[in-house]
Amino acid sequence: MTAVEADGGLRDTGEIRLTDLMHAELTKIRTLPATWIVLAVTLVANTALGFLAATDVVRVAGQGGPVAIAQLGTLLLAPVYAFIAVPVFAAGSEYGGGQLRVSLTAVPNRHRFFLAKLLASSGVAVLAAVPAVLPGHLVQHVAAPRGDSGVGSVISGFLALVMAYLLVGLVGFGFAVLAKTVVTPLAVLFILPVLVSPMLGGILPGVVRLLPHEATLSFLAMPTSPALALGGATGLAVVTAWAVVFVGTAWWVNARRDTSGS
Amino acid sequence: MMIEVSGLSKRYGAKVAVDNVSFTVRPGRVTGFLGPNGAGKSTTLRVLLGLDHPTGGTALIEGKRYRDLRHPLRKVGALLEGAGPVPERRAVDHLTWIAQSNRIPRRRVWEVLDLVGLSDAARQPVKKYSLGMGQRLGIAAALLGDPEILVLDEPVNGLDPDGIRWVRNFLRGYAASGRTVLLSSHLMAEMAGTADEAVVISRGRIVAHGSLDAITAGHPSLETAFFALTGDRAGW
Ligand SMILES: Nc1ncnc2c1ncn2[C@@H]1O[C@H](COP(=O)(O)OP(=O)(O)OP(=O)(O)O)[C@@H](O)[C@H]1O
Ligand SMILES: [Mg+2]
Repeated sequence: MTAVEADGGLRDTGEIRLTDLMHAELTKIRTLPATWIVLAVTLVANTALGFLAATDVVRVAGQGGPVAIAQLGTLLLAPVYAFIAVPVFAAGSEYGGGQLRVSLTAVPNRHRFFLAKLLASSGVAVLAAVPAVLPGHLVQHVAAPRGDSGVGSVISGFLALVMAYLLVGLVGFGFAVLAKTVVTPLAVLFILPVLVSPMLGGILPGVVRLLPHEATLSFLAMPTSPALALGGATGLAVVTAWAVVFVGTAWWVNARRDTSGS
Repeated sequence: MMIEVSGLSKRYGAKVAVDNVSFTVRPGRVTGFLGPNGAGKSTTLRVLLGLDHPTGGTALIEGKRYRDLRHPLRKVGALLEGAGPVPERRAVDHLTWIAQSNRIPRRRVWEVLDLVGLSDAARQPVKKYSLGMGQRLGIAAALLGDPEILVLDEPVNGLDPDGIRWVRNFLRGYAASGRTVLLSSHLMAEMAGTADEAVVISRGRIVAHGSLDAITAGHPSLETAFFALTGDRAGW
């Protein structure tokens, strides 16, 4: 260690721009090992499921006999719950070790901080969804012997899937800011389709079909059951509303909340 | 005045952490912010840096609120309690995103790593760091913007004698170059030979403010002056 640096080492490099803040947020996402692990898991899971759905070699026991994997929306969408850990970590990792205090001393304008993090996380979600989803989607629809898919429907199905990954990811992103942890949003969003929908789907279908997961499945034209189906456009509108509510509330809370206390 | 705190209060629910605190910090000297555990030092510094919102009063940096500074990290470098990197991230990456957020050139990351003696450990994830290494990384982050003002909350916590001496000399040099240094401590003895001025806080209120010599005058030791001012025997 040496004495004080000669002054003038740092020149004024001009106004701090939103892109500088986004660069910083991208670096945070890129240098978190969890990001890469999660993307690898999503890619492998999607590709394996796409293969199983296309070949129909495995069937799953259902109430009315074995069900083809291609018919099981919840299973086919399962990898999204690994994928959303990317935006969930982008938001939630600020809280564990107190990085938020470092972030907010570097970027004290809370609105600019949140906007930069939101844009960086959304951009990463869209870009990362492409490689995570595309191989599985191609395997399932192009290799499928049933030949149900024209090029147009394969492309639109792919774009819808990327959109779904982004929107569910944004729900998790906002949730992580509100909960100040990565654990709760991942657990709750996973439990909804796995426990809540099967248990309440028969009793309260009108409510359950509005949950983020079921609405997403409706949007992707693979609803869990006819009773839980919404129109595709309605499904998209409902998931979008969830994303807007979670992100909007998180924005509002983050702008006002102290970094200490609850 | 570089730092001007006036009538500052902060309540957390029913708990009054800081109660009508006023003091100023001038450039060219090291100002110690002293008080026993729970006195309100960290709370005051958090409010100064816009991390927590004051219940009343103001805390200004060159007449501005921290959040209105154009280049926050070039004006103020801070080391705060409970402000750590994500453990899985490498130290160099931690400093890199901080630098990017304030348009600080990339080479400065290696300069500050070198300055605090962490160059060789820079590519390790921070979770592998010892307490003292973590503290050095925090000091490196504070120095990134080559700031005019340093605000350090208990900077020598966890440092070995060598590290403590380095921080002490570094801060004296920093202040001698005309810059502003505010550092907190709950140990009076730590301030001897480091601070020129002291602001003493106890139970959320300022109980003394002035040159360290004046504050300790008439007391047999720094320690007894501290206890006399804060009304604490040994802190508990
Ligand atoms: N978020 C919070 N909620 C409730 N009480 C709080 C909160 N933050 C601080 N306090 C209380 O405010 C008081 C001042 O705490 P603070 O951390 O500012 O003290 P300090 O002088 O930094 O102490 P130390 O030397 O132990 O770091 C304490 O009584 C503490 O319990
Ligand atoms: Mg403290």
